[in-house]
Amino acid sequence: MGALKPAAMARDWVAKILAGTLLGFTLALACSALFARLASGMALAARGQLAMWMLAPIWLGVLASVFFFRSGKHAWLGLGSANLLVLGLLALSRYL
Amino acid sequence: MRTEFIRIYKSVHTWTGIIAGMALFIAFYAGALTIFKEPIARWATAPSPLYGSAIALEHAPALIVRTLQSQAGAARDFRLHLQSAEHLPKGLSWQVRQPTDDEHDTSTARYYIATLETEGGTQVAEVQPSGLVKLIDSLHRVVGLPADTDPNRWLMGIIAVLYTLALVSGVIVLLPSLVKDFFALRVGKNLKRMWLDAHNVVGIASLPFHLVMALSAVVFAYHDGFYLIQNKISLDGKSPSAARQASPSGAPRDLAQLLTPALLLARVQALSPSFEASSLQYLNTLTPRASVRVWGHDPAAHSPRLTGGFVALDPYTGKVTNADFLPGRQSSANAVIGSFFALHFGTYGGAPVRWLYFLLGLAGAWLFYSGNLLWLETRRKKAAANRIAETSPVPQRRDVRWLACATVGVCLGAVAGLSLTIVAAKWLHGHVASPNAWHPLIYYAVFGAALVWSFWCGAARAAIQLLWLAAAATLAIPVTSLLAWAWPALGMWTHTSAAALGVDATALLGGLGLIWMARATRQRALHGPADSVWAITAARSVRCARDR
Repeated sequence: MGALKPAAMARDWVAKILAGTLLGFTLALACSALFARLASGMALAARGQLAMWMLAPIWLGVLASVFFFRSGKHAWLGLGSANLLVLGLLALSRYL
Repeated sequence: MRTEFIRIYKSVHTWTGIIAGMALFIAFYAGALTIFKEPIARWATAPSPLYGSAIALEHAPALIVRTLQSQAGAARDFRLHLQSAEHLPKGLSWQVRQPTDDEHDTSTARYYIATLETEGGTQVAEVQPSGLVKLIDSLHRVVGLPADTDPNRWLMGIIAVLYTLALVSGVIVLLPSLVKDFFALRVGKNLKRMWLDAHNVVGIASLPFHLVMALSAVVFAYHDGFYLIQNKISLDGKSPSAARQASPSGAPRDLAQLLTPALLLARVQALSPSFEASSLQYLNTLTPRASVRVWGHDPAAHSPRLTGGFVALDPYTGKVTNADFLPGRQSSANAVIGSFFALHFGTYGGAPVRWLYFLLGLAGAWLFYSGNLLWLETRRKKAAANRIAETSPVPQRRDVRWLACATVGVCLGAVAGLSLTIVAAKWLHGHVASPNAWHPLIYYAVFGAALVWSFWCGAARAAIQLLWLAAAATLAIPVTSLLAWAWPALGMWTHTSAAALGVDATALLGGLGLIWMARATRQRALHGPADSVWAITAARSVRCARDR
């Protein structure tokens, strides 16, 4: 069993990194859009800059944690749902 | 399950670290120097009547008006310098760039200074400000590549992403044993254990600094792209640049109504009494969009930009048009954004923070160097305990030997190259037409030669020799100043300001430190374990055999 583990890891690391890179970035974009929506009282220039600065920590935070997923499939499913959740909140926030 | 994660993150840490490590060494070593780029520029600037003192404020209005009347190139953007330092022009300075120039690429720009003559006329001269600190800065920003271009910045961005992953994974690997390992520096027989402990202590202790650097470096590399994507998908459809104030329309301005710098400074003083102005940057002075930025620092606040902060006024009415970047007087949102820059550049807290950043930068460079050493040590083939290592060294894997050579060549080559190109600022002055073209040549010649030498001789010998070279090059900084002082006929100079002497003193300490490292490395090579890439044994290396 122990001998199988590295192979499982090697098979999935590309899928995990891709999930973290792509879905992590879209998640960061969605979060920054949600922030921009909720912080509508802030001056536009400052809001835009803060929304840009928050991309890197969210994106790379997700990318760095992606290896905690059990498999590449789990990573895509988990991060995909997180994306849908934030996009849903974004859609809801329109009716606030 | 937990150990499984640790193992995965250990390989993430290993591979991100080994790919990005050497580039990050250059970025951090050059970055540590950029903290003191002003003192280095002062050290490197030749004495000249055009530099080193500020004109009296009451003479400035006449100089500004006359310069604007006679110099078409100055109107777009010129600066009045209020402080005196060896590298600061006396009076006004501006640059004329080619329209093809990139935002950061100023290689084709021409520089001018306008100053007052004693008879009351103005004198305009084209000058060549030292490009030394620009080279250091550019090496810092694009991981040692020759040009600060978009593709090179994107490459730096990838390095910064790997660096972030290396940081997070390194912390995850260390977490389970953090309490046990953090308070333990096991000095002793097990050298690898000691290096690992030191690597962990430095990494954890400077983790906040490294997280700030990694994330802000990613933003600095990709902010254009980030804004572009956000604008494309943004439901607001507006960007910060679109939000910039629309320019007021109106007739061209009448120079006779230009307010004096003294009046403008008084206006700023009223706005923020603790603000210390250093220069006035006049933008588009002859157009309806005329604006003057009063740049400076506030000792009690962080600066939102590397060169400080500013308040923008209309130079004809004195009306404040933008105080978003005034240190200590920013809105909380702008202060937060400004703090990202201040945290990267160390522009808060004055000299103690700058020294702290300098040391953290050097410690960061050491972190990547030691990371590579640990990679090598983990992969080293050990001699069997009963074998006599001196007579039969264990052949190490080729990738291990090559990574050792690359680490030594890149890291020590960068250190020696930077020191030598700094020294060259004084020796080349007056002997070559454009010293600024020589600075990168010298750096890359030393860097390239060190790399080749390291692969030719093997890491063990090259490490010692290149450390001696780096020590000699670094000690040449204060020695050059000493020679210039003792023999003025050499045509060099020794500035006696605390900043310039500080460069000499720091280089002296750095050079002595490098000598200590060279001696310690030699000790290890000759008397350390023979089954190591760092060992010099008679059997292995016949090339470069110059055993001292």
